[in-house]
Amino acid sequence: MSENQVESQLSAMFDGELPTAECELLSRRIDRDQNLRSRWSRYALIGAAMRSEPVATARSGFALRVSAALAADLAPKRAPRGRRLVWNTALAATLVAAVAGLSVSMLRDAALGTSAGPTLAAGTQNGAGALAETALAPSGAALVANEPAPAAAALEVLNPTPPSYVTPAGSGGAATILRTQLADYIVAHSAYSTPLLRRNVLSELITSEDAMGIVSTHTIAAGSDATRSASGASR
Amino acid sequence: MGSDASDLSLVQRVQRGERSAYDLLVLKYQHKVVKLVMRYLRDPADAEDVAQEAFIKAYRALPQFRGDSAFYTWLYRIAINTAKNALAARDRNPVSYELDMHNGDDSTDMVSRLKDPETPEGLALTEEIRNTVNFAIDALPEDLRTAIVLRELEGLSYEEIALSMDCPVGTVRSRIFRAREAIDRRLREVFDGGLGRAEELV
Repeated sequence: MSENQVESQLSAMFDGELPTAECELLSRRIDRDQNLRSRWSRYALIGAAMRSEPVATARSGFALRVSAALAADLAPKRAPRGRRLVWNTALAATLVAAVAGLSVSMLRDAALGTSAGPTLAAGTQNGAGALAETALAPSGAALVANEPAPAAAALEVLNPTPPSYVTPAGSGGAATILRTQLADYIVAHSAYSTPLLRRNVLSELITSEDAMGIVSTHTIAAGSDATRSASGASR
Repeated sequence: MGSDASDLSLVQRVQRGERSAYDLLVLKYQHKVVKLVMRYLRDPADAEDVAQEAFIKAYRALPQFRGDSAFYTWLYRIAINTAKNALAARDRNPVSYELDMHNGDDSTDMVSRLKDPETPEGLALTEEIRNTVNFAIDALPEDLRTAIVLRELEGLSYEEIALSMDCPVGTVRSRIFRAREAIDRRLREVFDGGLGRAEELV
């Protein structure tokens, strides 16, 4: 198609006299061709001058200003830095308060010997029920871990000694240290994560001891009715 | 073929997320919209600001445009409402509240009140453009002049012009194109002569 034909099409398109399908193709060509675009603008100017419309509008860069305003309007907006800082601080404070509250609560429970109570984990290894108990790290910052134990281990924890913290042989307390470090890490980096993510990580930390093979529990007083009944049920 | 067939094509491109198509609609209708808004706001600079706001509002509302009316009719309403709101906000008196889309453009009183940007350069450029276009039209052969006048001043479709001039639609299309090209050549000479620059106009 010659240049003259394209310009003739442009004139017809300007008047709304070009078939729609051709309009689509030509308008895309105008996007790439500054000469056609300028010609389109001058066609508008000619009509405006004939009708005594304000022709100086074009000279003032009106169309460019509209285009720039639209581009700015559509640009993704970010919250002001000050507002982000406030939100991050608030989230960090919330997490610290939540962890501190949980720790105090568990320390109090431990001190009173009512620590969250033993619970029964049904359908565990060897087809036997096992006790899953709450362990609290000495630092108070570590979190709860539930450990399903084999039946033999369940029997072992039924000793008459007062509640105490027991770590599995060979672990040498490393698991507790690991949990403490993980909890400290989460708290220290709380400003960079969302509440939901932090909650998920904490939950993972609580339940991951199974996978880590950590047996960290405190023994149950021999006279504990709840423990006995749970053990009996597992048999 | 409706007079807004190409407008609808451009609108559909915009609705598909191609913003560049909207630039062509702005270039095509900027003069009409500014003139319309100037009936409410006397100051040309204010009128341009409100017209710009109207185009932005129209762009935002385009996803809801279903093509029940012509694009310019729809844009016209948005511009009128934007101008009225601006007028209320600025507590100014409008030139006229009683406007009609079809007879309003013919009002010579309104036209006489229109003002281009009042800088000497702006006034000179406006005058030069109008004179150039008028001289160029006068110099056109009769058949080209009649075709372009019926199209631009009377707003007739190619088919109506063909009936009026007793010639095929293809001939009308060719005459209008040749008339525009002749006027455009004269305009570019003016721009290249230093009074204004083409790139400032487009």
